[in-house]
Amino acid sequence: MKTLLTFILSLGILAANAQLNISGVVTEKSGEPLLGVNVYLKGTYDGATTDIDGKFSFETSETDSLVLIASFIGFREAVLPIESKGQDLNIVLKEEVSVLNAVVITAGSFNASDENKREVMKPLDIVTTAGATADIPGALNTLPGTQTVGETGRLFVRGGDGRETKTFIDGMLVHSEYGPSAPNTPSRSRFSPFMFKGMSFSTGGYSAEYGQALSSALILQSKDVTENNRADISLMSVGADVSATRAFSNGSLAGKIQYTNLEPYFQLAPQNLKWDKAPAGLDGNFAYRLKTSKTGLLKFYTNLSSSRMELFEADIANPEVDHAVNVSNDYGHFNASYRELINEKWGIRGGFSLTHSKDFASLAENSRDQKLNGGHVKVVADYQHSDRIAILLGGEMFQRNLDQILTDASGSFVQDFDERISASFAETEAFVSSALAFKAGLRFEHNNLNDQKTVTPRFSTAYKTGTNSQISLAYGQFYQAPQNQVILTDQEARSEMAQHYIANYQWIKDGLSFRIEAYEKQYDDLTRYSNVYDPSTFLFDGHGYARGLDLFWRDNKTFKSMDYWVSYSFIQTKRNHRDFPGSYTPSFASSHNFSFVMKKFIDDIKSQIGVTYSFASGRPYNDLNSEEYLGGKTPAYHDLSFNVSYLYSSQVIIHAMVNNVLGINNIFGYEFADQPNEAGIYASRAITPPAPRFIFLGVFITLSKNKGINQLPNL
Amino acid sequence: MKKNLILLLGILCATFVFANGQFEKAMGKNIPAMFSAETPEAMQAVINNLNRIGEAEGDRWEPYYYVAFGYLRMSDMVETADDKDKYLDLAMKAVDKGADIKPNDSELEAMRGYVQMIKLAVDPATRGMTYSGLAFASFQKAIALDPNNPRAHFLMGRMQYGTAQFMGSGTDEACGSLFKALVMFDKVGEPENPFAPTWGKNSTQQAIKQLCEKGDGE
Repeated sequence: MKTLLTFILSLGILAANAQLNISGVVTEKSGEPLLGVNVYLKGTYDGATTDIDGKFSFETSETDSLVLIASFIGFREAVLPIESKGQDLNIVLKEEVSVLNAVVITAGSFNASDENKREVMKPLDIVTTAGATADIPGALNTLPGTQTVGETGRLFVRGGDGRETKTFIDGMLVHSEYGPSAPNTPSRSRFSPFMFKGMSFSTGGYSAEYGQALSSALILQSKDVTENNRADISLMSVGADVSATRAFSNGSLAGKIQYTNLEPYFQLAPQNLKWDKAPAGLDGNFAYRLKTSKTGLLKFYTNLSSSRMELFEADIANPEVDHAVNVSNDYGHFNASYRELINEKWGIRGGFSLTHSKDFASLAENSRDQKLNGGHVKVVADYQHSDRIAILLGGEMFQRNLDQILTDASGSFVQDFDERISASFAETEAFVSSALAFKAGLRFEHNNLNDQKTVTPRFSTAYKTGTNSQISLAYGQFYQAPQNQVILTDQEARSEMAQHYIANYQWIKDGLSFRIEAYEKQYDDLTRYSNVYDPSTFLFDGHGYARGLDLFWRDNKTFKSMDYWVSYSFIQTKRNHRDFPGSYTPSFASSHNFSFVMKKFIDDIKSQIGVTYSFASGRPYNDLNSEEYLGGKTPAYHDLSFNVSYLYSSQVIIHAMVNNVLGINNIFGYEFADQPNEAGIYASRAITPPAPRFIFLGVFITLSKNKGINQLPNL
Repeated sequence: MKKNLILLLGILCATFVFANGQFEKAMGKNIPAMFSAETPEAMQAVINNLNRIGEAEGDRWEPYYYVAFGYLRMSDMVETADDKDKYLDLAMKAVDKGADIKPNDSELEAMRGYVQMIKLAVDPATRGMTYSGLAFASFQKAIALDPNNPRAHFLMGRMQYGTAQFMGSGTDEACGSLFKALVMFDKVGEPENPFAPTWGKNSTQQAIKQLCEKGDGE
């Protein structure tokens, strides 16, 4: 006992007497001194902060096994044991690659998130873009790389057809992502933009995690757990909706029911189409979020909708004869995803989605009845080896079952297919420094119908050329199963292939962004046929190319409370596919596309106003009365749209918008009669928007204890 | 032997008091230093001290509370949005560290809301929705955890004021919260924990003078 006491006492005396001085300098690898570094003895109060010359010095009375730590934001912590002498230490800190300083690979992709300052778009930008009618594809169509194809409303990317863009929600594929529409009228995405907290719109060269899309991947991240209870009511010129969100301690539940009916609007605003039953539909959305742990999150999402429309379409050859058109759709999508960090290095995420879509469309006695069942399962593991190396490994399976009944005067024709695509992928991202990054991936796919096994590489790299600028390059190979009708006719039809080469330069500084991107895209193994219902005419040797230049400029700094962006795309594209007699520019491609989008908040009238002007040069169409295949050219497309959101009170917003204010009669192409008339001429009719203008009015009311919440971000 | 035992106990107690004294002394020096630091460099030094104290103690939330406050003040000393975000993210990390040590603490939740409120202010146009929801939820939680926390009411009042100003609506609710905060500041007696936050009375009085005691003309 006595010895112990003496020992304790002597320790105390020792501690009090032996004052050790620890001093030195902390620098970067380059020798540059670091200011503000916390240098201290582990587990003690003793330490100092480096001065402007990187110097530090402090006294300590500790003696036992001293461990010195030097820690500074943006650098890896240095840990070094100190012997009895601790003077003139020279500590070199190695830069840590982090989200804040690392170069980001931007070739081919537009990212939108609330968090990252260096991204050129925000989710909110999508909803407030005039002319987009709060439709995600509508807003993305104001970005470079897209092409205005007004009669479909879909995303056509860099010479690719609409079906070459695939949509993923929380990593899971969505089948049939567009709602139904009358022939040659634009359809809308089924998913409301305010469901999402972030999105990445890739116009090419995307990650090995995504497949079955030749041109583009639209990757949407749904919102996480909501913190506030609220209820919303919207009264619109096209219908009404009610929604409610309930937040609880570790999760939230949200639901929305919407009824739309365009009948009253069509009564007021004359339409080119002869409606019998204007589009009407019921739509329900439900989302459940649960925090399973500090880092774990489980998400469920369901969308159910049903819509009907009936109209009459004049016969092209005999305009006095009307044909009845019926369109109906019943749709259900369920999506579940889960993510969790297992430890500091390993993370796992996965999920599954189910889609059911029943589509019916008829014109006179011809009808098409389609039933689609789709499923997708995916598991992804990511391994963070260090701040410089990360690896992604995953596997997934897509199941798609399509039944089709085609009916005409002669009878019915039944076709179906049952496609299963299994895929696995691996990708690694490596940072040589915070200024230079590489990404390399491989994707393996097997398609059960044509028994094709494909291995496709993806590469990308980015290099910071300055504080605000960087260059980025990407290459990738992509396979996609051919269009549905081709598979229905010939189940063994080969998959189509595309290769992308992309070079990108980006400069971003304090609210100003500039991007320029050049690309070359090659298509191979495209399906060719003379009759899409006759498999004996099928050849899988079609090919094509698209090359062009995309420019983007955005400025939300120069003018007070005003934000604008300008985008321009130039494209040259040709392909030999389908029933083309050679290589031609397809009818959805226009050489020049231009958009100007402006938004301004005016304090005096508590309103945000938005203006969008879009231009697209003429598109080819096939004039049956001309010798030349696809030899016709439509006039150029112009659209000027406005919107206004007025904050009536903190929780009531009034929104109005007018599309195509000038009432320009845009022509998207021409339709021709099946048979020539007596004079040997095919009668024709222009494809135009169903009405020169579209006007929308809505009142959006939020009920919440929290007065700061309203529907402004939803508009 | 008995004597020895008493001696041992005495030494142990002395060591304990000494350790406690060290914490008190260090906090007593660094809390006012955090409030008075005027440059990012000075602030970084104070934050480093507080981080060392927090790490050495391991079970005290107070150092991290002041680290968070320090970074919050530091975000106001820098110009660019990127820099502001960097310090606000560090502030949030410090709040999380404190909350790991003491979960469901009213002061830490109020600080969390404060950081979210300033994060909103960096880019109100795009962050308005998410961060106003987050900040309100944090202040509500802070008030629920301790209805007598004057800082929670003061910050709630500021948030309500900012929102009302943006919406062009009345500020009655905001002023109500500020007055409530003032009443609570006056009620607060000698704190049980000498390192628990005490700031905010002056700011509340100032806010009331500026925002709530003007004529209706403003």
